[in-house]
Amino acid sequence: MVIGGGIAGIQAALDLAEMGIKVHLVERLPSIGGKMAQLDKTFPTNDCAI
Amino acid sequence: MLDVGRHPNIELMAYSEVENVEGQTGAFTVTVRRKARYVEESRCTGCGACKEKCPTVVADAFNMGMGSRKAIYTWFAQGIPSTHTIDADHCRQLQGKKCGICKKVCQADAVNFEQKDRIETLEVGAIIVAAGYEVFDPGKIPEYRYRELPNVITAIEFERLLSASGPTSGHLHRPSDLAVEARIEELEDEARKAKKVLEKFEATHKLDSAVFWEAVGRGEDVGGADKAKWADKYQAFLPVAKELETLRAKAAGFDVAKRLAFIQCVGSRDLRFYPFCSGYCCMHSIKEAIIAHEHGPETTSTIFGMDIRAVGKGFEEYKVRGGNQSGITYVRGRVAEIMPGPGECPVVVYEDTLSQQVKRQAFDLVILATACAPTAGAEELAKTLGIERNGFGFFKTSPLAPLDTTRQGIFVCGCSHSPMDIPESVAQASSAAARAVQAITAVSGPVVEKLRHAS
Repeated sequence: MVIGGGIAGIQAALDLAEMGIKVHLVERLPSIGGKMAQLDKTFPTNDCAI
Repeated sequence: MLDVGRHPNIELMAYSEVENVEGQTGAFTVTVRRKARYVEESRCTGCGACKEKCPTVVADAFNMGMGSRKAIYTWFAQGIPSTHTIDADHCRQLQGKKCGICKKVCQADAVNFEQKDRIETLEVGAIIVAAGYEVFDPGKIPEYRYRELPNVITAIEFERLLSASGPTSGHLHRPSDLAVEARIEELEDEARKAKKVLEKFEATHKLDSAVFWEAVGRGEDVGGADKAKWADKYQAFLPVAKELETLRAKAAGFDVAKRLAFIQCVGSRDLRFYPFCSGYCCMHSIKEAIIAHEHGPETTSTIFGMDIRAVGKGFEEYKVRGGNQSGITYVRGRVAEIMPGPGECPVVVYEDTLSQQVKRQAFDLVILATACAPTAGAEELAKTLGIERNGFGFFKTSPLAPLDTTRQGIFVCGCSHSPMDIPESVAQASSAAARAVQAITAVSGPVVEKLRHAS
């Protein structure tokens, strides 16, 4: 089980899922994405955050 | 995000909280509260007809209170799952008033006001805590006058202003100007209503309200039976019209923010709050300054900091490029105070430690690079999970087992471990996933091998 659906939680859940492991991803808010979803772009490449 | 929603091996439990954890590695029993959304996740298509018709307007937390949303909402437009949620604290129906409009307009019949919280019990092998962080509240530093001066904002608020999907569609309007514009809208609404009433009198008596008012002033007998009421209404309308005129004249001179100041180490490297360096804020400010410059080439930024910590792949080059191409000036010195200035332009008082002079400079907008603080729910979550926290409130680990919490089988990654940027969070999350698999393997044999045979 992964607690928190921000960038870290999403990455951990995806890695486990790709290994074939069943994952429960628990997020407190209505949607996953966390703080990163609030960002416009990311450094140092200015890629879109979403 | 989309991949998470689609992956067959991931059960996404959004709008849920962990309530209890028992057992040990390989055999944890976890109780999860699935909070009531009052919308059936399986039925909602995310079309948004409900939020269009919802009459209740609420400040939008995703946009840091700038902008608004409805009482039935999605956290943000591209949010996964795309299911809508009803905010029970603001929904008229759930507050016992008459409404239910969303239920009427929902073609999928997904709105369910009777929905209750559900408790689910899960059997899991290992737990990864990625509970994130909280932005430090700069209101704790009185000399920076956050909340007191509208044009002093946090880095994450500035991020929403920069975003094309944010409250200003990416235009750098200053919060003080936005407040004036909101007030104008309010007054326009009031004026429209007042004018409607006045127009009725005008039509009945075939007389303009202004002319009527002048005649009343001269003591003439006009308006007949409506005289007192008409005079009252017109008298109430006058200050609204006057304020509207003043504010409109003021708003005509508004421009986007062009002179930006970034204040580093707000709450971090500060012995009153957090002595640690939050790590990502220097780069965050540089990035925001570069993007602001991309939005408006005449934008200039000044970054005030003790030093610029550009530690990471490609970071130093990014910093130098920002200085050379994006109008960024780096000033070495800690800002002592932010003062109110004319035209709602905050004045930054600082010592330029290179020239050893105390200076003052006015800016259109001041952005505070706030510290990475432990998430508000960290204390409760630590209790629920039975793990310890360190002196700052982040989850405790040891240098030789940096992802292991104090309870076996529970791992931590990302900013709930310690402040870190996105690439580091991603790397740590992958490590935590690997550690979780190792832990399960140690107690129940090689899981990955088993899964391969099973499939």
